[in-house]
This record gives sequence, C-alpha cells and structure tokens, in this order.
Amino acid sequence: MLRHKGKKLVFVTNNSWKSRSQYAEKFKSLGISVSPDEIFSSSFAAAMYLKVNNFPTQNKVYVIGGDGILDELQLAGFTAFGGPGDADKTIDWKQNGFFEHDKSVGAVVVGIDPKINYYKLQYGTLCIRENPGCLFIATNRDAVGHMTPSQEWPGAGCMVAAMCGSTQKEPVVVGKPSTFMMDFLLEKFNLSCSKMCMVGDRLDTDILFGQNAGCKTLLVLSGCTTQSDLQDPSNNIQPDFYASKISDMLDLLGA
Amino acid sequence: MMLRSSSTIAATSVGVCHTQRLWSHSVTLNYRLSQFAGNPLLSNSAFVKWKRNIGSSNKNNRFRMATKALAQPLQNADELIDSVETFIFDCDGVIWKGDSLIEGVPETLDMLRSKGKRLVFVTNNSTKSRKQYGKKFETLGLNVNAEEIFASSFAVAAYLKSIDFPKDKKVYVIGEDGILKELELAGYQYVGGPEDGGKKIELKPGFLMEHDEDVGAVVVGFDRYFNYYKVQYGTLCIRENPGCLFIATNRDAVTHLTDAQEWAGGGSMVGALVGSTQREPLVVGKPSTFMMDYLANEFGISKSQICMVGDRLDTDILFGQNGGCKTLLVLSGVTTLPVLQSPNNSIQPDFYTNKISDFLSLKAAAV
Repeated sequence: MLRHKGKKLVFVTNNSWKSRSQYAEKFKSLGISVSPDEIFSSSFAAAMYLKVNNFPTQNKVYVIGGDGILDELQLAGFTAFGGPGDADKTIDWKQNGFFEHDKSVGAVVVGIDPKINYYKLQYGTLCIRENPGCLFIATNRDAVGHMTPSQEWPGAGCMVAAMCGSTQKEPVVVGKPSTFMMDFLLEKFNLSCSKMCMVGDRLDTDILFGQNAGCKTLLVLSGCTTQSDLQDPSNNIQPDFYASKISDMLDLLGA
Repeated sequence: MMLRSSSTIAATSVGVCHTQRLWSHSVTLNYRLSQFAGNPLLSNSAFVKWKRNIGSSNKNNRFRMATKALAQPLQNADELIDSVETFIFDCDGVIWKGDSLIEGVPETLDMLRSKGKRLVFVTNNSTKSRKQYGKKFETLGLNVNAEEIFASSFAVAAYLKSIDFPKDKKVYVIGEDGILKELELAGYQYVGGPEDGGKKIELKPGFLMEHDEDVGAVVVGFDRYFNYYKVQYGTLCIRENPGCLFIATNRDAVTHLTDAQEWAGGGSMVGALVGSTQREPLVVGKPSTFMMDYLANEFGISKSQICMVGDRLDTDILFGQNGGCKTLLVLSGVTTLPVLQSPNNSIQPDFYTNKISDFLSLKAAAV
C-alpha cells in the first residue's frame, strides 16, 4: 500500500549479524520484495563509517562479531579479520607465552557476538590500547534482543561494554540511536527529514533515532515495548504516535 | 485500535544511550578529589604532621587549599615506617611480577616484622583463594599466613557474610576457582564457575535457557573461560530473580597475568554484564573500601595507622585514600614516573619510590 502510494521505504536494523544482501534474502524468504539498497544494517553502517572517514585501505580491521560485519567490510574494500573464525581460539596458559597482535589493525569493530571469548577480548584490547590511533567502533549498544522468539539474549551492548571495560575508552556508535545511518541515507537518497517517519518498537534506539534526526516517529507495540512501558512515569521518550502494528495503517486509512 | 497522538517531548540526547556509568570508582574519585583538593605542598615531615591534624582549622591550610599536593619521593623511610602500625601491600607489581619475586622483598618484609609492624596483603586478583595465595607466597620463600591475605575472592564471601546472605540462596559465579573455594569455605552454595566455560548454545527457535530461580547473587570477576552462556545465565538471574544481587570482585581494565604484557582484566567481564543488565554492580575489591573496613575491624586497627603500598593509582592508591590512610606508590609495577607526573593524572599518593626494598636502602635524612 505504501509503495503504491509512492512512498520510499527504507529498512534500518541494529542487528549486525547479517549483511544487507543476507537481509534481502530473509525478506525474500518471507515473501517481501526488498532490494539490498533499501536496507541499512549496522554491519553496513560500520563499513560506511570507515569509508566516509577515509580509513586507509592498507590498515586492517579486527572484528568481534559475525560474518555480516566481515562481508560488508570486505565489500567496501577493507581487509577485515577475526569474526566467527576466532570463536574457537584459546590461549595455552601453561605456556606463559606472549600474545601477539597485528600492529597494522587500525580499527576494531564490535557487534553482537554469541561466540564471544577471552581471546577476542584480549585481541581487541591490545589493538585499541597499543596501536596508535586505532579506532573503536560499535555497531550498536542494545542491551538485549530477541535472538530467539521465546526470550531475550544479551545484545551488542554487552560485547561493547566488555571492550569499554578493558580499554577504558568509549566507542563511536554507528547504529541507532546515533544518527550516522540517518545522515548517510538522507544524503544517499536526497531526502528531507521533515518528510520522513521512523517506525520502530524500541524507545531508546528506534524512537530516539528518529527524534535525534528530527523526523516523525511512530512506535509499534508488536515488538519489545508494551503500552505500559510507554506510559510508565520513568519513561521520557515519547514518540509522536503509537499503534499496535504497522498494518494498523491499512485499517485506519480513511478513518 | 486507534492511532493516538502523544505529546512530543524534546529528544533525549544521544549521549544518554552512549554514556554508561561503567566506573563506580569515578564516584570515589570525585570523593577523593573533594576531600583532598588543595593539599598544601609541604616537606615530608610537615606533611605527615598535617595529615595527623586533618580537619583542624588552620588558616594557613585554608589559604593553601587552592593547590594540590604532588606525590613526594620517599626519602625518610624510617619516619614513614615509625608513623604507622600496619602496612597493606598489593601483590602484583609490588611483591611479585607474574611468578617472579621482586628484588629485595623478603628482606624488606622481615625488617618490617622485626620492627613489630603488622603486614597485610590485599589483591584484586580473584583467581586464587587466600589459602592458594598462601601457597604462592610459600613457594616464593615468603613467610605469610593465609589470614594476612585478602584477595577479592575472599572479599566476596566476606561481603555475603556481612549482609547475612541466606544460606538457602545460591550464588552464580562468572569467574575462576578462587571465588568458588572461598564461597565453599564460607558455606555458600554456588553454580557456574569454570565448568560453564564449556557450555555452548544454539540460538534456534524453540531454544529456551532455563536458570535457577534460587540464585540470589551473581558474582562477576576475572574469567579466562568467559562465554555467552555465562553472560546470558547471569543476565537472566539479575533481571528476573527478585532482589538478585550483582557483585563484582573488581573492575581493573587490564592485569599483568604474565610480566611481559597486559591482559584484559575483570573490568571487561563486569562491563559485559553491565552492558546486558544495564545495572551497576557492588564492587568489593579496590578501590572500594570494603576490604579496608573489613581488615581494620578484624584486626582492631585505626586507619590513620595504616600505609597502603601499591603500584596502581586507580585501584591501590585510591583505595588507600578512600580509606583515609597513608599511601605509597611503587614504580616496580604498572605505573611509571611519567604517568604519575602526567597532567592527566589526578591521583597523588603521599609518597612514591622505586620498590619496597627502598625501605632498607633509604636512611633517615640528616637534619
């Protein structure tokens, strides 16, 4: 209905586990036609952040996260390593040996990583603390997410905070609620904020993202936020509108 | 369901989501600064007298409150030794480095004992119990009893005891053997520890992680066997078990596991749980004064009679200052003189010296 009315659709997700083309595949498997160009995952955002900031291609990127991040970095022309490949790496403590790390790593990107382990924490920590000017980039800082339908699981916010704990540095966050992805797509599609509406289910990422950018915001209650969460006195993030789910837009047409 | 309009409130700044109060000791740092901002720059002996008269309304002191006292190089070791009854030593970087004893340590400890000084050893390292540390001291040829050692693993058990943590409640441990041993000694039931390091999960629809509803406390410390299973288990306990405590042994960013380099420390594991629960833990290790209060009470000593000796500014020295005792920084560990003297550093111990055996080599200055 929205496409029929000539509206531009964009899909922005903080989940860095997949690349844009993998997300397009997911849409397709659900019977929805979406082009990878319309998808902005935080994995893509990390690669674009480096591109926009002229990250030298001779510097490497160490990834604590999934293949989605590695794929997007490689697509953008960067040399990235780590990721799922380091999931089974262990350290032989009896050896009392030296932990080496690549001195040409110029950025460490941290995203959701269910295969987090001490090796990765140590590798990333040494890069950030010892490689001069090494960037510390976080795809996002969501505390928890619905990795399975039945319960919430620790999100990227966990891995990012682990790295903050060992490096005593704060990262650049490229995902919501940072406006990086918004600024990027506004420029790419030559859009104006005033003509935009952000639709999401999380107050502290989606709605804040929309508000920070200055566009309209619609909260849907089909995800992790309930009406009582929204109306709780401790909540101070108020979207312009809320509805049960996006298909309410069909029901409410002409109301 | 109607689309309802709600009033638009100005967007909260992005900083709210990015900023995390990771450092409980940032609060203690402010406390320390407010208490000692403007220590006058005085000679060693005058400084010691000033500290004894702390709180007295001396016009000169009030005038000098505008300046902050810089750490003085230790010159009159005898005067410092005579002015206190107890020495608290950090271990890594003060007594040993990795598994090697630092030069002159045994003779220095013997000298202090012969002068009737009480010696206490306080370490944030929770991988061993106090008994296991006792064995390490013995292996290195040092005469130290387990009762003189206060590791953050012991501090956890002592803390639970001090709050009458119910014995029918369990403790979930993200950490190593030392914590488990101390909990067992104190009569607490635990789950987790290193064996959860081998547990794997498959994030598939239909998979549900169960957790024990009797867990009343999650303890997080340095953990080389850290994984997602443990983070999720700890997170579920903290978020879903009513009144569940979140306790951290310490928050050191890095630690010298080997003397050749730094390794990601307990601050990393604790950070992970802060990230997923969005709650701050209670920290029992340095620079929190829990261990200081405990041992002062246990041994019946007054804090003004204590000198804290350590190699780290943001744990050891802050610990000593928060406790209100004298502080001596040694440069035999992680802190160098340039770091101490850097304009970015605001933590000034009373004194600094190369290593503790300087107590033997420095003699009273001729008056």
